[in-house]
Amino acid sequence: MSETTMQSPVDVGPLSASDGSVTLADAYATTKVQVRAGADTDAAAALGVSYGSSTRSADGDLVCGTRPDEWTIYGDPGRSDAIAATVPTEGFVTVIDLTHGRAMLRISGSNATAALSKICNLDLSDELTPNGAVFSGSLGSVSCDWVRDDQGGETSFLVSCERSFGRFLFIAVADACTEFGLSVPHGWELHAH
Amino acid sequence: MIIVPCPNCGPRNSGDLRPAGEVVPRPDPSTCSLSEWREYLYMRHNPADWVTETWYCRGGCRRYFTIERNTATNEIRGQEAS
Repeated sequence: MSETTMQSPVDVGPLSASDGSVTLADAYATTKVQVRAGADTDAAAALGVSYGSSTRSADGDLVCGTRPDEWTIYGDPGRSDAIAATVPTEGFVTVIDLTHGRAMLRISGSNATAALSKICNLDLSDELTPNGAVFSGSLGSVSCDWVRDDQGGETSFLVSCERSFGRFLFIAVADACTEFGLSVPHGWELHAH
Repeated sequence: MIIVPCPNCGPRNSGDLRPAGEVVPRPDPSTCSLSEWREYLYMRHNPADWVTETWYCRGGCRRYFTIERNTATNEIRGQEAS
């Protein structure tokens, strides 16, 4: 796999509420490697998590059980080759670098869950989506893959979708955050004022 | 709104899924008549009663599964991966 230089569909920096209760940041550059493998393959055993959960690898990459027999590994930018090299490929296994094709955002803070719940029909409570939970569902009517990845004890979600929906998704989430004090840059409003 | 239990994802809003209709036995296309094939493709019973249906979890695990749904009350029982 080769690194492809692509521009993020989101061209604004991190947005934050003045009281810090919610922060929204583009995470497009995050390396995203998808692995599809049969349950009886070495890859499935090596990845070590089942659908719905995630773990940190020794290299610090986030290994997520995205769907039955499907995993997504998130890592620092530029690590696709290194991540792919860690996956055994014997048997019925595919390893694909999705970095360029998936937009991603991170939303964090004490009001992150409340903001997301405005445009999402999933139950994002701690009981059903604790730290490390992996799930898929629509956010702002866009099909997304989610990971609850708390940072320093603070609630945080990584959300990714098809790249072409990335700008809309970012704007929709930013719009949902305005109630909690986040200011949306001019030109990024979801609704005309 | 209907809450549909996906065997992989758990209870989901039906908006995250796609109903694929009644489960209909597929005849052997090499031996069945045109009439039987047409019936398989287009004809459905659609009773106001319990029906076994296939659903697709398009927003979640992207797997097909079957449930029994009462079309009169939207009560759901039983679920099974297809």
